[in-house]
Amino acid sequence: MEKLLSIIFIYILVDNFVFQRFFGICPFLGVSRKMETAIGMSMAVVFVMTLATLATWLIYTFVLVPFNLSYLQIVTFILVIASLVQLVEIILRKISPTLYQGLGIFLPLITTNCAVMAVVLLAVRQEFSLLESVIFALAASLGFSMALVIMAGIRERQELAKIPAALKGSAVTLITAGILSLAFLGFKGMLTL
Amino acid sequence: MKVNNPYLQDLTQGIVKENPTFRLLLGMCPLLGVTAYIVNGLGMGLAATAVLIASNLVISMLRNFIPPQVRIPCFIVIIATFVTIIEMVLQAFQPVLYEALGVFVPLIVVNCIILGRAEAFASKKPVLRSLSDGIGMGIGFTLGLVILATVREIIGQGTIFGPDPESAIHLFGANYEPMALFAQPAGAFIALGLLLGMVNVIFKRFNI
Amino acid sequence: MREVIRLSLTLAVVGIISASMLTSIHGVTAPIIAERQEAEYRQALELYFSDFDRFETEQLDDDYFDLLYNSSGKLIGIMSTIQQQGYDGYITYNLAVDSEGTILGLLIVSHTETPGLGDVITTAVYQEQFVGKSFKDPITAGEDVDIVSGATVSTSAMINSIRRVIGFIAVNYLGQESETIDITQVPNGTYQGSASGLCGPITVQVKVTDGMIISIEVLEQSETPTYFIESYPLIPDQIIAEQHFDIDTKTGATMSAEGIIAAVRAALSEKKEDQSGGEEDNESE
Repeated sequence: MEKLLSIIFIYILVDNFVFQRFFGICPFLGVSRKMETAIGMSMAVVFVMTLATLATWLIYTFVLVPFNLSYLQIVTFILVIASLVQLVEIILRKISPTLYQGLGIFLPLITTNCAVMAVVLLAVRQEFSLLESVIFALAASLGFSMALVIMAGIRERQELAKIPAALKGSAVTLITAGILSLAFLGFKGMLTL
Repeated sequence: MKVNNPYLQDLTQGIVKENPTFRLLLGMCPLLGVTAYIVNGLGMGLAATAVLIASNLVISMLRNFIPPQVRIPCFIVIIATFVTIIEMVLQAFQPVLYEALGVFVPLIVVNCIILGRAEAFASKKPVLRSLSDGIGMGIGFTLGLVILATVREIIGQGTIFGPDPESAIHLFGANYEPMALFAQPAGAFIALGLLLGMVNVIFKRFNI
Repeated sequence: MREVIRLSLTLAVVGIISASMLTSIHGVTAPIIAERQEAEYRQALELYFSDFDRFETEQLDDDYFDLLYNSSGKLIGIMSTIQQQGYDGYITYNLAVDSEGTILGLLIVSHTETPGLGDVITTAVYQEQFVGKSFKDPITAGEDVDIVSGATVSTSAMINSIRRVIGFIAVNYLGQESETIDITQVPNGTYQGSASGLCGPITVQVKVTDGMIISIEVLEQSETPTYFIESYPLIPDQIIAEQHFDIDTKTGATMSAEGIIAAVRAALSEKKEDQSGGEEDNESE
């Protein structure tokens, strides 16, 4: 129990995927312009990341390891993520068209979101149990979502601010991310696994 | 300056006009994650370039055999295969670099540059042009990594060619207190943001 | 239907080619990787123990101790591989110790300490201060080894860990008497001692009656309150219950816990020396 709580705390605040580990920077820069899209992307990431970790953990533990095929993990994991995204897309379209409208356009982007790949690889590398892996994925994706939402809030206001022409667009976003990362540095070392 | 040779054009496009780092903003995760030292940045760049060239080549060769409906999964498997090969080769022959790059080696597989080039270029163009596109994009990405790593290592560590003490050159003598911020994630974001601003100014000035 | 078969067939072919390629390359690189890792470790061993012939590995939790023997079967030293909690994750290091219990060298295998601050532990200057120290030395911050400012946690974690490891090696593998304090020999009385915790000195008052520690009180400390409660009163209670200092300090506040133990140890060992002087005084009266 204590370990699970530490995992949650660590991967949301201490080792935030975006601000401390540099995973998922592309969507972080790409979809943080508006709060609405940021929230849509966040929900899609939480959903896919947790499911993907569950699936890859089971495949890794019960197929790859027993057959001594762990060197195929990159190929297997990326295929699992890609097909999972497809599957979620199809199911969502059938079951809940409203949710699909909200998340649909973000789903294809998730295949190349390196935060998802990172979370499934790290879950295996850190030898987490199934429950720990799922909690880890949940915490990491929530951390990612938090970063995305914070950034979107700032960027919506930045639209109105006077910014030097050269820094407009991604440059100022990166510098803002740097300052946010500096703030998160305050959590560093507070808790380790 | 007008270049007529399409191969040369493909090559230079990736280095300057469509530089993946400074113009397209692709492959940001490894760009920020491994650039605390120049050596690591260079190693990452070369590894990604190798995967990019190989995947561009193979995908271009197979472009008429792969049905469009399943092209994305096929591309992904091809890219993942080359990434795994690079990972094994690094682990066997460059263990120090392999340790330093860590999880960013397998993450080359989700580097948007590689899938992006496969989808936008290699799946449509002949083999040799895809090859020069791969080389150009690879050099462009490596260049971005090395430039950011140089800035970060000089300011954040006061050295170049670290962290190996045998090759590290201390630029400012032993008493220099480095600005540790730039060795940390926050510094990576800020340095890249400022570099982007600089590149924007230069490109505007020369109308590229 | 034919379309579906064609698509899945293409995917299957791509997958099979990929898997077989990787399998054959794995067959080539896997032995190279294994061989290189072993060769690297042997090289590290030969750096410190030029004439070793074979070694035996003993494991304790996550730590490994390789006992090295020369060709005539004599124990010439120990190479340990230790996992230690640092500031941010684990530090794994090798400590080479000769048969006299003296440190020959320190090698950081892997760490995730903050770049530019905590990674000072990988520098030769920092590591060399441990070389030549033996289990008889205090190996205490501020006495014979230094804490690096800006990297207090990383460097003092290393110091405390090395002190514990070398003590463990000396007692368990080299048959040395550890200089632990025999509590039963401590005369009745109240003793004070201090040692450094995470944020500053910790001073404790220890009461001994009939060769037993009956109470431990912390008089002064400046630890982080939220962490300190993890080790106080838990650690003093454990010392009182077990009547020795070999206590598991893997709480959420390892540094404070070790600080308390070191302070109690200091209180009893210093007073013992004073006591002998005191007795002489008594006789002259």
